[in-house]
Amino acid sequence: MRPFGYVSAPDVATAVRVVSTEPNAKFLGGGTNLVDLMREGVERPDTLVDVTGLPLTAIEELPGGGVRIGALVRNARLAADPLIRSRYPVLSRALLSGASAQLRNVATVGGNLVQRTRCPYFYDHASACNKREPGAGCDAIGGVNRNHAVLGASEHCIATHPSDMAVALAALDAVVELESVRGTRRVPLLDLHRLPGETPHVETVLTADELITAVELPHLPVAAASHYRKVRDRASYAFALVSVAAALHVREGVVTDVRLALGGVAAKPWRAHQAERVLLGAEATEEVFLRAADAELAAATGLPDNTFKIELARRTIVATLQELLTDGSAA
Amino acid sequence: MNGLVGRPVERVEGHAKVTGTARYPADDPVPGALHGFLVTSTVARGEVTDIDTSAALGHPGVVAVYTHREMPRLTVPPFPYPKGFIPLQGTAIHHAGQPVAIVLAETLEQAQEAASLVQVRYRSEPPRAVIDDAGQQPYLPPPFRDRPNEFTRGDASRALAQAEVRVEAHYSSPTRHHNPIEPHATTAHWDGDRLTLHETTQGVNVTRGVVATAFGLPADRIRVLAPYLGGGFGAKGPVWPHTIVNAAAARLARRPVRLVLSRAQMFTLTGHRAEFRQHLKIGATREGRLTAIVETTTAQLTTTEESIFNESDSTSTLYTCPNVHIRQEGVRLDIATSSYMRSPETTAHFGLETALDELSWVLGVDPLELRRRNHTDIDQETGLRIASKHLLDCYTTAADAFGWSRRNPAPGATRDGDEYIGWGMATEAHTFSAIPATASVTIGLDGKAVLRIATQDIGTGTRTIICQIGADALGVPITDVHAVIGDSALPNASLSAASATIASISGPVDRAARTARDTVVGLAVADRRSPLFGVPVSDVETRHGHLIHTRDQARRDTYRAVVSRAGKPVETTGSVPNVPGHSYGVVFAEVRVHARLGAVRVTRVVTAHDMGRVMNRRTARGQVLGGVTWGIGHALMEHTVYDRATARVVNPNLSTYLVPVCADVPSVETLFVDRPDPSSTALGARGFGETPITGVPAAIGNAVYHATGRRVRDLPITQDKLL
Repeated sequence: MRPFGYVSAPDVATAVRVVSTEPNAKFLGGGTNLVDLMREGVERPDTLVDVTGLPLTAIEELPGGGVRIGALVRNARLAADPLIRSRYPVLSRALLSGASAQLRNVATVGGNLVQRTRCPYFYDHASACNKREPGAGCDAIGGVNRNHAVLGASEHCIATHPSDMAVALAALDAVVELESVRGTRRVPLLDLHRLPGETPHVETVLTADELITAVELPHLPVAAASHYRKVRDRASYAFALVSVAAALHVREGVVTDVRLALGGVAAKPWRAHQAERVLLGAEATEEVFLRAADAELAAATGLPDNTFKIELARRTIVATLQELLTDGSAA
Repeated sequence: MNGLVGRPVERVEGHAKVTGTARYPADDPVPGALHGFLVTSTVARGEVTDIDTSAALGHPGVVAVYTHREMPRLTVPPFPYPKGFIPLQGTAIHHAGQPVAIVLAETLEQAQEAASLVQVRYRSEPPRAVIDDAGQQPYLPPPFRDRPNEFTRGDASRALAQAEVRVEAHYSSPTRHHNPIEPHATTAHWDGDRLTLHETTQGVNVTRGVVATAFGLPADRIRVLAPYLGGGFGAKGPVWPHTIVNAAAARLARRPVRLVLSRAQMFTLTGHRAEFRQHLKIGATREGRLTAIVETTTAQLTTTEESIFNESDSTSTLYTCPNVHIRQEGVRLDIATSSYMRSPETTAHFGLETALDELSWVLGVDPLELRRRNHTDIDQETGLRIASKHLLDCYTTAADAFGWSRRNPAPGATRDGDEYIGWGMATEAHTFSAIPATASVTIGLDGKAVLRIATQDIGTGTRTIICQIGADALGVPITDVHAVIGDSALPNASLSAASATIASISGPVDRAARTARDTVVGLAVADRRSPLFGVPVSDVETRHGHLIHTRDQARRDTYRAVVSRAGKPVETTGSVPNVPGHSYGVVFAEVRVHARLGAVRVTRVVTAHDMGRVMNRRTARGQVLGGVTWGIGHALMEHTVYDRATARVVNPNLSTYLVPVCADVPSVETLFVDRPDPSSTALGARGFGETPITGVPAAIGNAVYHATGRRVRDLPITQDKLL
């Protein structure tokens, strides 16, 4: 590992100031991804600014029924929080389906959102990767791409975003609060991550010196009946081939409210607006669910290794909606 | 006898292991040791044209960087060095991940960082990474360790042509890696031309021999220490290049050097189970009696090594069949050499046990009944009766426990909610070796016994079973015996591999301990100060550390008293040969397959095994649980993936090379027949470790077929294959 400087930030102002003034400095949260990447030599910061001592660890109910989550809340604690479990079960389930118990005890909400892709070519220095080295090319496209994107990819990058939590947040219309020396701004979660286009190394709209300080969830009654289904190659501790975050409300057989997002299929958590449009106001039947899935996946394209994910996503969307329908929670 | 053998005695080193006091080879402190780190090739085929080490040499803490330019010339050892070449001896590149330089530094972090600063230029050619890309016809390699790769019995092609029923299918499995939790580690410490190696090895003596050959040294100049091992599974059976390269570097640097492979390096430097194809043609009568088996297998070989490690023993020996023709072929690829991986015969066993299941459906015969009809107690290769084989008992015991008779045979007929339920079974079988060994016993003045033998405990419970045997033979509590193993300076034993350990060392340990007991009894009855003076030795029994007159229990002495009066320790040795053979069993598995998503869950497993005498029920059960767990991995997820353009491993870590997690493994009911084998000198025990995985992949695949009506012949059975 390359030698680096370390600063433990006493407050948010110091943290963002140091990162904005020190060249090549990065925030250190739980470190579950960043430290790995440093060991692999993919991330090579000169200075780490440890933010884990900052007072961003509260989970607070907001006036009007929303919830504000401090960026340093650990994943395990967020998953177990009674407010989250009752009002946004999809978020709790998404968190618990991610990583391992040990990692969830350490990983933070803010860090989870800005973790990097697990594309193996991103990790392998001898491979071409436009994320790691802009302009180098993408060896994943002609290589092994079983876990890669089928939506929103480009000829420059087909990596997926690995987070489960972010998929649930995408379904829940979450808003992310960012802090920098220039002040505070709020960005919808859906606008935080970027599709690769011609600049896959630019993964979010964050500037290098912006710190995620909180995530806010709006009051969202439909989320009380919500579920997260993660499909993967083993029962635990594996990234999603496909995942679905869904919230559904049905009255008299008709969908009156719905939120749907997909994971494992794109460079960002993928809100399924097309499917939602089909579903809203339609009858809650398997046929409609299939039509909604097909609408969302009409634009999906696969490569030899990952074309199956389109069919898998279609089936997982239907399975998840059916589960919400039949277990009675959507009524 | 205390009767410890056969009981579920807990591991004698268990406390040391769970409290972290057990010292594994990389834990041994070696004063002044440098840290080594290997620079490995990014190309798979070609040659090194230039290496610039200046930046690495300028990094803080770096003591040396050695390449082929600095390394001494070494001799390529024969088996068990299954590599065919030693790196850093020239410029040729045979696979990605081949070491091209070694960096020595004061700290591990310095060595790692400096290794990334070594600039290597290559001339590269397009490599061949998988059998599909071989671009060559498979060929029949020469015999490996005197075993030919082609085997015939009777006239298989004719019998196949005349068979009433035929089944033909192609089966395949990918490259897989052992992935022991403990990475390979070696520390080389030279004192003149004497070398001490702290080594993660399944064979201290084998390592000593291979390294001696490489350096042209007499073996007695080398001492190899491996007191504990964090898993081997065959990966630490052979000697691999990093051990030799590191020892050479330590000699050049005149400092001890410790080298620990990274997880990624373990995917190219320590062997693997070769990618494998199997074409099976089976002929049978309408009643299901096998009349012909024709099998051609294709295994990945390399340009430097053509040994085939995935043998087809089960195909030729497991069932009675008069006409068999097996060809074990290979193709040469530009990846690392393969080697033994527990359990080598599993690979071909999968095809055989799946083909039998396919035959059972063709015939409309229950799969278990089909196996009973083809059962044999005759060794198919020698024609001799097998001394002890209780496979039929295994079938009955496990089938009853599983409830097999309640099975609805129709595929896809049993459903619970969103899931199909299927039941499958397969026979388990594996060979075991028996390798000559010698043990010694020393009874000290304190009356306690030290058992010494140069074997290893690779996590299977060997150390505990040595203590059980020694304590029983001496008639002392297990707390009064101590096993010293994992040191090449000890009395000779061989690899902990090929399921050979218990079969090889039990007799010698027992003999040495019995001789020590007899010696102490002899001392007592000859000693006027002993209450047993003058008693015939045949009238003395030993129990709980006491020597007791069998007909007058009040007359007794103790080991401690006898040996301390004698004034010097009692030392004995023992050596007893044994014969190789097979251990058998059966595995029944229940799976649930999600009707919509194709995800497979294994929900229930029952096994029964015949391994002769069960030496320790607890450790034997551990072997079965490990085998079932790994078999689930084989069946459903394990898969080393190569980039076909570069022949580099794409998933060289435990986050993307998936092995089962606890949630993938159901409760496993482990049953044992437990009848001593009269032909075994290992107290009636047979070698066993590798048997309980062999049938698991086929049992799961057969259960998936029963659940869904879909036959997946290409492992692993990932859910995309069932959509």
